[in-house]
Amino acid sequence: MFRGWIQVTSFQFDIGSRARNAGRFIGRVRNELLRALSERKKEEKLSQQELAKKLEVHRSLINRQLSGESNLTLRSLADLAWAMDMEISFELKKPAIEAGQNQSVTTSTIGHGQIKYIDGGKRRTLHCDKLVIAPLARGESTNL
Amino acid sequence: MSALTSRTCTQSSFRPHMSTIEDLVAAGAISRIEVELSGRQQAQRLLYGTPDFIEWLRKLVDGAEPESCLGQATAAEQVDQLFHLFISGGPLIHNRQFRYIRAEENAVWELKTPDTRIFGWFIKRDCFVCVFGDWTDKVKDHDLYRGYRIAIRRLRRQLNIDNTLCVQGVDPGDVLSV
Repeated sequence: MFRGWIQVTSFQFDIGSRARNAGRFIGRVRNELLRALSERKKEEKLSQQELAKKLEVHRSLINRQLSGESNLTLRSLADLAWAMDMEISFELKKPAIEAGQNQSVTTSTIGHGQIKYIDGGKRRTLHCDKLVIAPLARGESTNL
Repeated sequence: MSALTSRTCTQSSFRPHMSTIEDLVAAGAISRIEVELSGRQQAQRLLYGTPDFIEWLRKLVDGAEPESCLGQATAAEQVDQLFHLFISGGPLIHNRQFRYIRAEENAVWELKTPDTRIFGWFIKRDCFVCVFGDWTDKVKDHDLYRGYRIAIRRLRRQLNIDNTLCVQGVDPGDVLSV
């Protein structure tokens, strides 16, 4: 071993369940948008430029929203889905807990002070397990 | 963390030949990085980090943030999300979430979030070693790509890493399976 190093064979990057839920949800929304746009691009050659034209905004705003460099509001999410002619399906549900599955770490130490659940880890934060952006059927309206 | 002051790069007094990932782990040169996986998810890809990179992650956990944040999520949340996507085997978008710095043998690669940049190399397909983490603004403002690339190549030489511990191709499919 190199002198002066403390050997750590594994490091758990744990930012706490609250932060984890937030970050992964935001990331999932953006990835879903990118996936949907990529699908639309293949099917109908819909580019970021055309999206921007449809929404009457500058292309760089669309690019920043998709890259995560600009805030994505519910309104902008709905607008992007509309411009791609897609519908948003959104659902909140209790997480299914099955025997043998990974267990959440139930402490949070980032940004919000320490949060510690004391009910044996049974309490878990609700999270959205499903966010899908799918093509709209003809005549169908967008619901969020 | 600066490429030029990195402890990882300056310690080279002992250079055993490294031909397996286990050699590197046993030597303390890299450690496995894990994030919590949900439900029935299993690790599909592997992430490792050098001691200095692990230190950078600890600072993120302690709430380190760049001067101005671009993303809606915190820097730590962005990195957790990217690591989760990587380890759980999710699709990463080439250029937006990962890219090589220069098309060359034993290329250095970059993992990207809005506010952070992580530099390292693919030791095997679906297996990435993180060496440096930094803020996006700083990397762009000071054009640190070349410096980090050179520092990582030097680190591999200093660790006496076998060529077999470096993915040769620079096609996204060479380094990640979908």
